[in-house]
Amino acid sequence: MTIPTRSVHCLAPRRRRERLFAAALLFPCFAFVAVFAFYPIIHSLYLSLYRIILGLPGLSQPFVYLENYRQLWGDAVARHALANTFLFVAVSTTCEMLLGLAMALVINRSFRGRGLIRAAVLIPWAIPTVVASQMWRFINNDHYGLLNFLLYGSDLASYQAWLADPTFAMAAVVVADIWKTSAFAALIILAGLQTIPDELYEAARLDGATAWQRFTRITLPLIKPALLIALLFRTMDAFRVFDLVFVMTQGGPADATNVLQFYGYKKMFAEGLLGYGATISVLVFLIILALSLVYVRFLGREIMEERP
Amino acid sequence: MKARLRRLLFLLSVALIAAFSILPFLWFIATSLKTQMEITAIPPTLLPSFSLDFYRSALDDYHLLHYLKNSVIVAGAATAGTIGISLFAGYALARIPLRHKPLIMGSLLLVAMFPQISIAGPVWQILAALGWLNSYQGLILPYITLSLPLGVWIMTGFFRELPQELEDAARVDGCGHLQTLFRIIIPLAAPGVFTAAILVFIYAWNEFFFALLIMTQRPYQTLPVGIALFQGQYTIPWGEIAAASTIATIPLVLLVLLFQRRIVRGLSAGAIKG
Amino acid sequence: MRRRRRRGRREAPMDRISSRYPEGFRPGRTAAVFLVLLVLCLSFAGCGQEAKKANGQILRFYTWKPNQPEVWEEIVRIFEAEHPGVKVWREIGPHSSTSFHDLLTQKLKNRSKYLDVFLMDVVWTAEFAAAGWALALDDRFPRTEQSRYFANVIQANTYGGKIYGVPLYIDTGMLYYRKDLLAKHRLTPPKTWPELVRQAGIITAGEPDIYGFSAQFKQYEGLICNMMEFILANRGRLIHPETGKAALADQPAREAVQFVRNQIIGKTAPAGILAYEEPESLALFVQGKAVFHRNWPYAWEAANDPSRSRVAGKVGIAPLPAFPGGASRAALGGWQLGISRYSENKELAWKFIAFLSSPRIQKLLALKASLAPTRKDIYDDRDILAVCPQFREMKRAFVSAAPRPVSPLYPALSNVMQRYFSRALSGAAADINRESLAVAAEMEQLLTLAP
Repeated sequence: MTIPTRSVHCLAPRRRRERLFAAALLFPCFAFVAVFAFYPIIHSLYLSLYRIILGLPGLSQPFVYLENYRQLWGDAVARHALANTFLFVAVSTTCEMLLGLAMALVINRSFRGRGLIRAAVLIPWAIPTVVASQMWRFINNDHYGLLNFLLYGSDLASYQAWLADPTFAMAAVVVADIWKTSAFAALIILAGLQTIPDELYEAARLDGATAWQRFTRITLPLIKPALLIALLFRTMDAFRVFDLVFVMTQGGPADATNVLQFYGYKKMFAEGLLGYGATISVLVFLIILALSLVYVRFLGREIMEERP
Repeated sequence: MKARLRRLLFLLSVALIAAFSILPFLWFIATSLKTQMEITAIPPTLLPSFSLDFYRSALDDYHLLHYLKNSVIVAGAATAGTIGISLFAGYALARIPLRHKPLIMGSLLLVAMFPQISIAGPVWQILAALGWLNSYQGLILPYITLSLPLGVWIMTGFFRELPQELEDAARVDGCGHLQTLFRIIIPLAAPGVFTAAILVFIYAWNEFFFALLIMTQRPYQTLPVGIALFQGQYTIPWGEIAAASTIATIPLVLLVLLFQRRIVRGLSAGAIKG
Repeated sequence: MRRRRRRGRREAPMDRISSRYPEGFRPGRTAAVFLVLLVLCLSFAGCGQEAKKANGQILRFYTWKPNQPEVWEEIVRIFEAEHPGVKVWREIGPHSSTSFHDLLTQKLKNRSKYLDVFLMDVVWTAEFAAAGWALALDDRFPRTEQSRYFANVIQANTYGGKIYGVPLYIDTGMLYYRKDLLAKHRLTPPKTWPELVRQAGIITAGEPDIYGFSAQFKQYEGLICNMMEFILANRGRLIHPETGKAALADQPAREAVQFVRNQIIGKTAPAGILAYEEPESLALFVQGKAVFHRNWPYAWEAANDPSRSRVAGKVGIAPLPAFPGGASRAALGGWQLGISRYSENKELAWKFIAFLSSPRIQKLLALKASLAPTRKDIYDDRDILAVCPQFREMKRAFVSAAPRPVSPLYPALSNVMQRYFSRALSGAAADINRESLAVAAEMEQLLTLAP
C-alpha cells in the first residue's frame, strides 16, 4: 500500500496552496460579477435614496433618505403590481414545475421518436421571448386568433376578447410564460433524473414496489437538488418577468398585468424617476431574497452546506 | 392488460405534451406561409396557401440572416465564457474546502435576484465609458455575468455528485489539483457542461432588454432586437415575423438535437453511476 | 480504501475512466474544439466599437424604421450629394413610441456625443427642453419662418417661449367610414357621436357580421389620443391651460368617459378594442368588419390597397364627430426634428434639419411616403392634391388638431391618465366620479412639481 508522500507538518502550506488555488479558480467569476453586477446593484441601492426627476433638473436631486420607500409603501399602484406579480409567480412557477416534471419523466424514458419529442419540447424555449410574446398576442386576438377559433369555430359572436379583460389578460400572459419556460425546468429535472441508477428501480421492482411508490420513494428524493435549483431559478426569473408584459399587454388592461419590474421600468425609463424606479427594484430584490431563503431553509439546506 | 393501459396512458401524455409545445408554433409556421390577406382573415384560415413571399421579404428587406449571425456570435461567446468560468468556479466550490462557502454561493445568487432593468443603467454607463456600446463584447460580458449564477450552481451541484474516489486515486498518484482538474474532472464534466451550455445559450439567444439598450446600430443587433424592429409604426408584419421565427428556430432545434444525444451518451456510459 | 497502484501505471485511472465512455468520445478532442470555439468567438468580440470618424463628417440621426425605406434612402442620398464629405449615419430605433422614447432618452441623459439629430414625438418637446437635452433653435428658426407651419404644431414645439423642434410631418385622428354601406342606407357621415352610434346600429342590424366602430383603447399612449378626442368634442379638457389644473373631474370630461364606456365599448364597438393598438383596429376595418374607424392619416393608403384590404375603394374619410354643442377636435400627432445639446456637429445638424423640412423634401415625403406636410402652403400644390386628394379633407382637421398637455412631466401624466381611462373603460373602476377625482388629484400633484 502506498503511503501518502506528504507528511503531517506539510498540511499547513498545502491548505494555503489549496486556498490560493481556489481563489484563482474563483477569481474570473467574481471579477465579472463585481463589475457588471455588484457595482450596478450598489448603485441602485444608492440611487433609491435620492429623489431624481430627469425631466426637471432644476429641482436638483436631493438626498431623501428613506422617503422613496415611504412613498412606495403608500403607492396603491405598486401594491396592485405586487399582487399581480405574486399571482403570476405562484401560478406560473407551480405549473411550470409540474409540467417540467412531467416532461422530464416522459423524455427520460426511451421510446421511438424520443429525439423528436425532445426537440418539440424545447422549441418553445428556443424561440426568442419577444417573438413568442407577439405570437401569443396574435393567438389571443379576438378576431383572427387561433384560440377563439379552436374554442368557438366559426361562431363569431362567441369570440372572446381575451387580452381586453383584466382577468383573462393575466391568464394569457401566464399561459404564454408556461408554454415558453416549462422546458427550462424540464431540462434541469432531466439532468437530475439521469443521475439515478437503473439498479435502484430494478431492486425496488423486485421488492414489489408499485410505480407510484417507486416515484415517491426513489425518484422524488433523489431529484430534490435538481427540483430545488429549478424552483429557485424559476421563481427568481418569474418575479422579474418583463419581456412578456412589455410586448403582450404593456401592463394593461387597467393595470391588470402590471408587474413590479414593468412598473419599475415605466418609472425609470419612461418617466425619468430614477430614484423611485431604483426603489422598486430594491423591493423586488428583497422579496426574491426572502423567498430564496425560505426555499433553502425548508427544502434544501444541504445544497448550501459543506459536505461532511 | 394493465401494462397496455399504462403504455397507452404514457403515449397519450407524450402526445399531449408534444401538442401543447408544438401547436402554437405550427400555427405560426402556417402564418408565415399565408398571404397578407389570409393572415388577418376573420375567422382565421387554417390552411395556408404556401406562399413564400414573407420568407423572401424577411430575408431581403428585413436582413434576417444578419441578425441571426450576430445572435450566434454573441450567444456562442457568452456560452463559452460562462462555461469556462463556471467549470473552474464550480470545481472550487464543490471540492476545495473553503470557509464561508454558503456565503460565496449565496452572493452569486444575489446577482440573479436583482431586477435587470436596474442593472442595465449602470452597465450601460460602464460600457459607454469604455466605448463598448455597439460592440460584441459590450453584450457578451453582461450576458456572461448574468448567466454565471446558474452556470456555477449547476456545475457545483454536478461536481458534488461525482464520486470522490476518482480524484483520490489521482491524488494518490501524485496529481496536483490542477492536473486532477484538467485530466480527470473536466472530461467527466461533459454532461453537466452540456446542460449548462444549452441553458446559457438559450438565455443569451432570448435576451431582449440589454440587447435593445446596448446595441442600437444595425451591424451589431441581435435577433430579438431585430425582430422587435420589424414592427412598423402602425403595422405589425405578422408574416415576416412568423417567417423569421421559423428560420431562426430551425437551426437552434438542430443544435439542441445534437447536444441531447451527447448528454445521453455521456451519462449512460456509466461514468457517473455506481 | 486506497487501491493498489504500481509505479509506471499512472494511466490506470484514465484507462478506467475512458473505458466507461462510449465509442469515439475523446475528452481531449472535445476540449480542444471547445477552446478553439472560445478563441474564435472572443476574437470576434474585438471587432466592435462605436463607428469611428472617417474622413469628412458624420452626422448621426436617430430615427425609426420608415415604412418606405427607399424614400428615406433617396433623401439621404440627395443630402449627401449636396454636401460632399458628409455622411449621414442613421440609427434605427423601435417604432413603438414608448420604446423609442426610452432608448433616445438613455442616450441623452448620459450626454452621448454620438447623437446629433433625432426625431421627437409631438408630446416630448417639453420634457426634452426642460431636461436640457434639446437645443433651443430660435436663432436658426425665427418667427417668420415658423409662421409658415401649422400654428398648433409650432405651439407644441415651444416651451418657455423658445422653440425646440422643427415639425417634420403632422398626424391627426380622422374618421374613416364605409361609404358603400352609408350610401346603401342613405346616410351621410355623422356629425355627432350619438349620431354615429345610431347609424352604426342601423347598419349593423342590416348587415351580417359587422361591428359599428373600431379604434384604439389599449392602455398605451394612443388611448390618451382617442379619449382626448371624445373629451374635447364634449367641450371638456384634460388640463385647463389657463390655470394648469387637471380637468378630468369636470363634468364634460366625465360625461365623455361615461359615454365611451356605456355606448361604445362592447356595444357599438367590440369589447376587444380595449386591447387594440393601431394594427389590430385597422385590421378589423380593412377586413370589412367595422363600419366606422378612427385612425391616423396613414390608414387611408392601407385601406385602399387591394392587396391588403377587402374594402379598397369603399372607404370615405371625414373629420371626427363632436358632441351636441361641441366642436370636432382631433388629437395632434406627428414627429419633430431636434438637435442634441451635446452634439458636436450643431451647424451640420441644423443644415440637415433645414433640408428635411424644406418644401422640396416635404413634398417628396408627401408624394412618396404619404407623410402629411407641416408647411401650410404645400396643401395648395397641384401635384400633391392629384396624388393625395385626401389631404384636402385632412387639412381642416390638421389646422384644428389639439395638442396634448405640454409639460416636462408628460410621460408621468400620461401614465396616470392611461391608468384612469383603462380602468374606467374596462369596468375595473366602479365609480367614475370618484376615480376621476382621484386622478385629477394625482395629476395636480405632478403638475405642481413642474414650473
